[in-house]
Amino acid sequence: MLTINSLVKRRGSQQILSGISFEARPGRVTGFLGPNGAGKSSTLRILLGLDRATSGSALIQGKPYAELHHPLATVGAALDGSGAHPMRTGRAHLRWIARAAGLPRSRVEEVLELTGLSDAAGKRVRNYSLGMGKRLGMAAALLGDPDILILDEPVNGLDPEGIRWIRTFLRKRAESGHTVLLSSHLMGELAETVDDVVIIKQGTIVAAGTLQEVIGRHSSLEEAFFALTMEKAGDGV
Amino acid sequence: MRISSGRRITPILGAELDKFRTLPLIRLTLTVTFILNIALTAAFTSVSLQETTGTQNTLNTGLASMGYLQAGFIILGILATCSEYTGGQIRTTLTAMPWRGVQISAKMLALAMITIPAAFIMAASGVLYAFIMLGDTALMTEIGTVIQTLAGATGYLTLTALLSAAVGAILRRTTPAVVVLLGYYFIVSPLTRDWLPGYLPDKAGYYMYTPPSVDAGNILTPMEGTGVAMLWTLSLMAAAILLYRRRDA
Amino acid sequence: MRAFQAELSKLFSLPGIWLAVLIGAVAPAVIAALDAIAEKEAIIAGVSTRLPEMGYSGLGLGVQGVIILGVLAVSSEYVAESSETGGGQQMTTSLTAVSSRLHFLLAKAGAVTVISILLSMVAILTTVSATHLILGEYTPAFEGSRLAGAVCYWTFTALLAFGMTLLTRNGIIPLAVLIINSSVVSFSVLLHKVTKLAFYLPDRAGFEMFMFTSGSAHTPGTGSLFESYLTPLTGGLVMFAWVAVLLMLAAIVFRRRDVAA
Repeated sequence: MLTINSLVKRRGSQQILSGISFEARPGRVTGFLGPNGAGKSSTLRILLGLDRATSGSALIQGKPYAELHHPLATVGAALDGSGAHPMRTGRAHLRWIARAAGLPRSRVEEVLELTGLSDAAGKRVRNYSLGMGKRLGMAAALLGDPDILILDEPVNGLDPEGIRWIRTFLRKRAESGHTVLLSSHLMGELAETVDDVVIIKQGTIVAAGTLQEVIGRHSSLEEAFFALTMEKAGDGV
Repeated sequence: MRISSGRRITPILGAELDKFRTLPLIRLTLTVTFILNIALTAAFTSVSLQETTGTQNTLNTGLASMGYLQAGFIILGILATCSEYTGGQIRTTLTAMPWRGVQISAKMLALAMITIPAAFIMAASGVLYAFIMLGDTALMTEIGTVIQTLAGATGYLTLTALLSAAVGAILRRTTPAVVVLLGYYFIVSPLTRDWLPGYLPDKAGYYMYTPPSVDAGNILTPMEGTGVAMLWTLSLMAAAILLYRRRDA
Repeated sequence: MRAFQAELSKLFSLPGIWLAVLIGAVAPAVIAALDAIAEKEAIIAGVSTRLPEMGYSGLGLGVQGVIILGVLAVSSEYVAESSETGGGQQMTTSLTAVSSRLHFLLAKAGAVTVISILLSMVAILTTVSATHLILGEYTPAFEGSRLAGAVCYWTFTALLAFGMTLLTRNGIIPLAVLIINSSVVSFSVLLHKVTKLAFYLPDRAGFEMFMFTSGSAHTPGTGSLFESYLTPLTGGLVMFAWVAVLLMLAAIVFRRRDVAA
């Protein structure tokens, strides 16, 4: 369970988030949508304790991220990019994370297998393609077999096979009772994966609810998204 | 949270050591520094042999390259902290180990665990080389002084690496950190020797590996030098930790 | 020409370049001023042997600005040192925009050269003013040929930094080597005591262009670092040869290797 409560983030004079609230519930895939610069990444970074909120809270199972006892077994996160030093090999990267989380080395090989990186594990990350970097980020997120997954643009840069794999994988995770929060701006892809949708625009939530509720009288999620986020879009909801 | 940080330190320290071990730049820096140090010591020794007047001092000749040797440890310290900010690794680090104060302290500890043996081996190999080459022309130094001086040199290089790591953590970018630190140690400090007080980190640290002599104007004793250098390192580390805990990653 | 202008605008949009410009304009003046203050008494008493060096010592030791310029011009293309960008390198974009790698290199080297020349002129201005300010009527006359030598020294140093960074694809090594070597404890200071070949190292050879007065050029040197060993022209040619060889080597390596690797 992820709870975002009246979250405000200011950077200098710039208001990035102006009091957003939403939840991501267990057993469901929650899609977090918004145009570029709307505050998606900032929200996820605050949720993970990387950035500090100006006010409000972002809690994971009722606690701020830094107070989790076993962070990697609770939350797996993959933000933009691989999150690995380009000079290290993929395997070495996962191994130090496993060491930090007190996980056995065999678990590293398991996630490498799971994300299809076994053959590339000995290569330095700087030689990875965009898709491979993405897979490495996923592998790191899955290392602790977490209850909650937080993914930023998970299908960005993946090949069709990878996209399909992510979709089925996330559905399965949710069906077995896990929480999944993913941000994306690929509407078509999102409409096939998510149960709930949260749409953010310029730091404020403009719509939240189940996929059907948000689509409402629009013909598709994409239509609803544009109606809600475009200027002078009338009174969509 | 506070109570359990003791139990947490072992895996975190292990992870930080793993990071150093698997970063080729760290190994490269140590190797290049070692080789260059021997080469420079060879140069200093040969200069020392040419100088016919007076007797040579094995210890002074062997440690003459300290001025250059410190550059390797400055870079090592910078790499230790700034490498986190390459490729977005800092996000991974802080999601795996969100206890920032503990994590960066463990990193500093891991760095010290690497620099202490490395610094000792490098300083000792220089002195050993000078001892072999100068042979009986050199003034023999008591073994006690040798050990004391080598310990001082090791301590100085370790403190320098830690101080550089702290500056690197504050600046977060490799290039500015290299410019600031090398600029200070190699340009500003030597040029302002007569103007600035002797309590700056490199000047105070100098006395850590320089035996107190009666004639020369040693401002500080080795112990005082150690104290002042340590104070600099600790305060910069404290500033780095404070900033690291507060700001957005 | 378009590629050259693109390189100029790329360089000036880097915040680090402005720092390099600031250091380049200020550092030599400060060093020259400190040096002049230290020597002032001896100069007034008429016993200073270092009078002809006044001001030039600042230009000789204050090259860190152009070193940073040369390094950043290349390393900014490779580095992705931000938490937001996953690992994007500007180099890929640059090489798609200018498809010929040789043209790309020439444009970049040209931009570095032009900025270095301008920066060295600014530095000469500040350094001469600082020296005048402190030494007043005792200031030695600044000769045009020696100042031109200093401009060459700065430009060659920037190009050395540029070539080294191109070879290593990493700013740390060239920054470390060149900053340490631009200090009063440069490697050539040490090595000249071991072998006369040290006088042919790029920094020492480059010093010949402006650090020593023409009168001392042909007296058989005692081998001291502070005496002329080569003529200004030979010194300049030796340093230029270093630059040319390094840049050629870097160009060959750069053309051969893959962008991302």
